[in-house]
Amino acid sequence: MLSRHGVGWASISPYSYTRKTLVIKTDSGFLAKVIEAKWLTNNIFSVWLENPKSQRKPKPGQFFGVKVPTHHHLLLRRPVSVADFYQNRIRLVIRVVGQGTAAMSQTAKEAKWDLLGPLGKPAPLVRQKDVIVCGGGVGIAPLLYLTKWLKRNNRVTVILGAKTPSDLILLDNFRKLDLPVSITTENGALGKKGVVTDLIPEVLSRTKKPVIYACGPKQMLLPLKQLAGQVTVLGFLEQRMGCGTGICYCCGIKKTIGGYLRVCRDGPVVNLNQVLL
Amino acid sequence: MKLPVVIRGVEFANPVLAASGTFGFGIEFPKVARRLGGVVTKALTVLPREGNPPPRIAEVFGGVVNSVGLENPGLEAFKQKVIPRLKKLGTRVIVNIAGFTIDEFLQLTDALNLPEIDGIEINLSCPNVKAGGVNWGQKPKTVERVTSEIKKRTEKLLIVKLTGNFVDPAETGRAAEAGGADAVTVLNTLFALVLDETGSPLLGARTGGLSGPAIKPFALFCVDRVANAVKIPVIGCGGIMSGSDAFEFLCAGASLVQIGTAHMVNPRAGLVIIRELAILCRKRKIRTLTEIIGKIRGQK
Repeated sequence: MLSRHGVGWASISPYSYTRKTLVIKTDSGFLAKVIEAKWLTNNIFSVWLENPKSQRKPKPGQFFGVKVPTHHHLLLRRPVSVADFYQNRIRLVIRVVGQGTAAMSQTAKEAKWDLLGPLGKPAPLVRQKDVIVCGGGVGIAPLLYLTKWLKRNNRVTVILGAKTPSDLILLDNFRKLDLPVSITTENGALGKKGVVTDLIPEVLSRTKKPVIYACGPKQMLLPLKQLAGQVTVLGFLEQRMGCGTGICYCCGIKKTIGGYLRVCRDGPVVNLNQVLL
Repeated sequence: MKLPVVIRGVEFANPVLAASGTFGFGIEFPKVARRLGGVVTKALTVLPREGNPPPRIAEVFGGVVNSVGLENPGLEAFKQKVIPRLKKLGTRVIVNIAGFTIDEFLQLTDALNLPEIDGIEINLSCPNVKAGGVNWGQKPKTVERVTSEIKKRTEKLLIVKLTGNFVDPAETGRAAEAGGADAVTVLNTLFALVLDETGSPLLGARTGGLSGPAIKPFALFCVDRVANAVKIPVIGCGGIMSGSDAFEFLCAGASLVQIGTAHMVNPRAGLVIIRELAILCRKRKIRTLTEIIGKIRGQK
C-alpha cells in the first residue's frame, strides 16, 4: 500500500545542480500551487492548493507532508491534516507554531509547496450512529472535512471551542453544513462560557451510544479520554514527526499496553483508550 | 548507465544504499528498495525494544536530531514477519544488528545465517542507548573483539558501523579491519542536544544524534581519514541529499554510500540520487566508479 507514496524531486533539488533533468513521475508526491491564502485569526491561516496533475483523493483524517522548497535549511516536512478537498484542490489550515509553519505563512502568496501524501490511515467512519464532533482551536480544521463525510450516514452534532470569538475558525463552513453546532469560548463572548468539553455531558444525555471524534489540544483530549470506557472516542493525535510514512519510527505515542504506536502509520486518528496521552 | 560496485564478491547494482534507521526494514517501499543498491534494515536486537520516550525527533538548522532508541520488534518477530518479505525484495539486504552483550551479537549473527540476507552491519555507534552502541564503538579493542567474534560465526559480508563521537574513526576502523570486517560504514549520527524555548531538553531521551547536511563536511573528512587508514572498503554516510553529495563521498574514498536523512524527506530520495549520480558520471565521462573512488587520496 505504502509503496505508492513517492514524491517529486523538489525536496531534493536545492542540493543538486542536475535538477532540471530529474522529474520522477509519481502518483502522490507533487508540487502544489497556492491559489488562495488568507488569515483566519492572528496566527492561523488557510490555504487552498491546486495540484495540476490528478491525484489520489485524501480521506478524512489523512494528512500531507508539507515542505517549502525555497527554505532549504528546514529539512523535514510538516504534517498538516486535510481541512477540505474539492476537485483536486486541497485546503490546509495551519497555525504558525515554529519556523516551518512561519515559512509557509511567508511564502503562501507566491510559492509552490512540495507535498507528499495523502499520508496516514484514514479515520474509521461509522454509519447509522449518533456522532459528536468535538474540536478545539486549530483542531477544528480537520474535523470540517471529516464532518462532511460523516453527515452522509449519521446524525452529527458539532461542538467547537476556542479562547475568544476571533480565535474560532471555520464557523461559517460548519454552519453551512446544516447541522446542530454548539460553541464555547473561554471568555464567554460567543456561545457558552468555558471549554468545549463542558458541553459533552449535555450532548451525551441527548444521544444514544454516540461516537465522539475529537481533535484539539491535549487538555481537550484528556477529559474525553476519561469517557473512553463508556463511549467510543476517536482522537486525532499529534506528535513531532520525521518521515510521515512509517519508516523512521520517530512519531511514537505510548500505547496503553506495551510499546509505542506511530502516529503517521497507525494514526493519526486512533481510539483514545489505546493510548496514554 | 550501470554503476555496479563489488565488495568481497558481493555485487551491488549501484553504490546507493538505504542507511539503517530511516528506511524501516526495507519492506515498506518494495518498489523503491528493488532499485537501490541495497537496503540496511533498522537495527535489530534479540528482544523487542519499545524505544525512547517521545518526542524523538527535532529539526535543527540543516539537520535532524533523533533519539528513537532502537525501537524494533525483536529477533523472533523479525524472522516471522520481515524475512519472508525480504526474500521477494530483489535487492541486497544488510541487517543492522545491535547487541548489549557479545552473546546477543552472536545470537543475532547465528539467526541471520539465511540465504535472504547478504550482509550484517554491526551497530557499534548508536548514540541513543545506555549500553552497547557508541560506548563500545569508542573503544578500538572492543570493536576488534566484537568483530572477530562475529566473524568466526558468519560467512556473510561483515560491515562495522563506526562512530565519530569523541574517538578517531581511523583507529576504530583499523580495529574493525583487524577483527576481520569486510567494510566499515563511516559514520553514524553525532551526539546532539536540543533545547526548547523554555530552555529544557526537547527530546524525551534528553540527548540524541545529529544527522543531515549539517554533518556532511565532517562525514567527508572522516571518510577520507578512514579510507587512508584501512585497506577494506569504506561506506560513506552522513548528510547525502543529492547525486553530487554522493559523488563527493565516492571521491573522498567511499565505495558505497548510505542515504539516511534524505529518506525522511522523500522515500524515493535514493532513486533520485542514483539518477543524479549517473548523469553526473556521464557528464564527466566516467565509465566505472573505480575511476573516482578515492581519487582525492594523495591530493593536496
